[in-house]
Amino acid sequence: MTVPMIKNYINGEWVESNSTTFGDVWNPATGEKIAKVAYGTREDVDAAVKAAKEAYWEWRTTPPLSRARYLFRLKDAFEENFEEIAKVLTTEQGKAIDESRGEVRRMIENVEHATGVTTLMCGYTLEDIAKDIDCYGHRQPMGVFAAIVPYNFPAMVAWWFLPYALVTGNTYIVKPSEQVPMTQTKIFEIMEEIGLPEGVVNMVHGARDVVNGLLDHPDIEGISFVGASPTAKYIYQQCGASGKRVQALGGAKNIVAIMPDADLEQGMPSLTTSFFGCAGQRCLSGSVLVPVGDIADELVEKFVTASKGIKVGNGLDEQTFMGPVISAAHKQRVLDYIEKGIQEGATLVLDGRNFQVEGHPNGFFVGPTIFDNVTPDMTIASQEIFGPVVSIVRAKNLDEVIELVNTRNYANASCIYTSSGATAREFKYRVKPSMVGINIGIAAPMSFFPFGGAGNSMFGDTKGHGQEIFNFFTDTKVVIERWF
Amino acid sequence: MPLISFGSILSFAEELEKKDEAFYAAAAANPEFSELKDLFDQFLKDTRNNIKNVQRTRRENVTEMILEPVKGFTREPFCEEIDPAEAKTIAEILDAARCLEKRTETYYTEASEKIKALSEVSRALKIIGKKHTAHLKKLDTL
Repeated sequence: MTVPMIKNYINGEWVESNSTTFGDVWNPATGEKIAKVAYGTREDVDAAVKAAKEAYWEWRTTPPLSRARYLFRLKDAFEENFEEIAKVLTTEQGKAIDESRGEVRRMIENVEHATGVTTLMCGYTLEDIAKDIDCYGHRQPMGVFAAIVPYNFPAMVAWWFLPYALVTGNTYIVKPSEQVPMTQTKIFEIMEEIGLPEGVVNMVHGARDVVNGLLDHPDIEGISFVGASPTAKYIYQQCGASGKRVQALGGAKNIVAIMPDADLEQGMPSLTTSFFGCAGQRCLSGSVLVPVGDIADELVEKFVTASKGIKVGNGLDEQTFMGPVISAAHKQRVLDYIEKGIQEGATLVLDGRNFQVEGHPNGFFVGPTIFDNVTPDMTIASQEIFGPVVSIVRAKNLDEVIELVNTRNYANASCIYTSSGATAREFKYRVKPSMVGINIGIAAPMSFFPFGGAGNSMFGDTKGHGQEIFNFFTDTKVVIERWF
Repeated sequence: MPLISFGSILSFAEELEKKDEAFYAAAAANPEFSELKDLFDQFLKDTRNNIKNVQRTRRENVTEMILEPVKGFTREPFCEEIDPAEAKTIAEILDAARCLEKRTETYYTEASEKIKALSEVSRALKIIGKKHTAHLKKLDTL
């Protein structure tokens, strides 16, 4: 069967790469190839940067409110095509259709937030900093920026950055994950409808060569990256070496603690969502479940029962709660972690290996998997699995929980379920991760708050979206003024 | 088939509304019921608005932080086929319309209860349900 070839979008045109290397795009639920994508070259990057650079000055001098009006049009276009984007997303990524809808919603929320540019991009001023001298700080756009984004949120993550870059007057290049290039392609097709000037937004597909082409390019001012921590660190170092701004968000090992006074009835549905939503492939997924004190046996029993009831299947089926993982290779990686957990002596209380979904014999499915009696030093308690595998580490008290949280190799998110305000305060005050959930299993900041972790979960100092993102995409030019 | 998710509840609401839409489109086009044409046209218009409202609710209120499974709710009680072609008289088409409206109204009442954790969604479903209640009241006057 012939499958479509995904094209680059450069200078307002859909163009084929000159690459001779190609990758396959899969439907992870069926195991079928659904598209091919060229692994772009440095020449592709050069062409995109050239287009973005040439478009910059005219775009930069377009009034912010006029730039925002493109985003208002874009919001309307996205709303109109909402279901279509969600379906493409589920088809190539595998997540449940409601999760795709949630992702598209969050993408649009960033567009909505960015339209506040006329407030959020304002500078500041102070008269009389010295006798008859005034001072102004103007926020100015800088030029060409780029995003390198992961496979787990093919629609949303690029839009943590792109709308803010555009609305502040920069021009942009997106490199989607080569595993899920179709969603962003669909989004760019929709974006064509709003009539942005040529070269203001560009998209180059590919893998390592495109990434390095962007990192090395002297005409790129800054890079936003989301992905695995080793890559995030590499990106951070490369950008530092070439003098670029950088925000590089990495992986996670998120702990969800359940205190003895937690309301299990209310909390249980959000716990299963936290651990098994997106098949565990999100940087905010719960990964380590920590029952504290004498709640442990009851919690484990209820959690295992609830997890057994999760409907795993093709994400396009409205009944599906959890879809497959992204690829056959990633499935094997997750299975290897399960083997590792068994070898290291954890108790496998729910086994998701050999999980079969009726009518989908070739899908990349791993069923909900739960290990009990995990110890903090085990591999499955410390490394990011990025799959539907839960490690239960039992703790005696809150101090042990906080110790566990603060000794992981990551510091992205952590959550606690409790009825005690004092316990919640102690937890949020002392844990290192930057995103904290209180009786919430997925501590995902919305577009108007910053998104990003600490430690090895983030390299750089400006997080995704929120108000801070306006700083990332602007330089504050200070003018000190005196008139005679 | 169980309705276990936000999406399945909203998508089934859309499906029911589309059945209502097809019913009123056929009823309005049937010359046997010409004296009810204005009423059926109005109901058809209302149903199309309901479809837009259901779609908008699904788009705007999906929040991945609280996409939690729903329990104890299924499609089966709402799946009876109600075919306007089977109605031969005014009384029969009105009876069929009442059955249709009652079914949809009941669905919204139960669905809004099941999804009350998402209060905006619950409220939106209640509001649409009330429109069907108004239709029922109107039909009962005829």
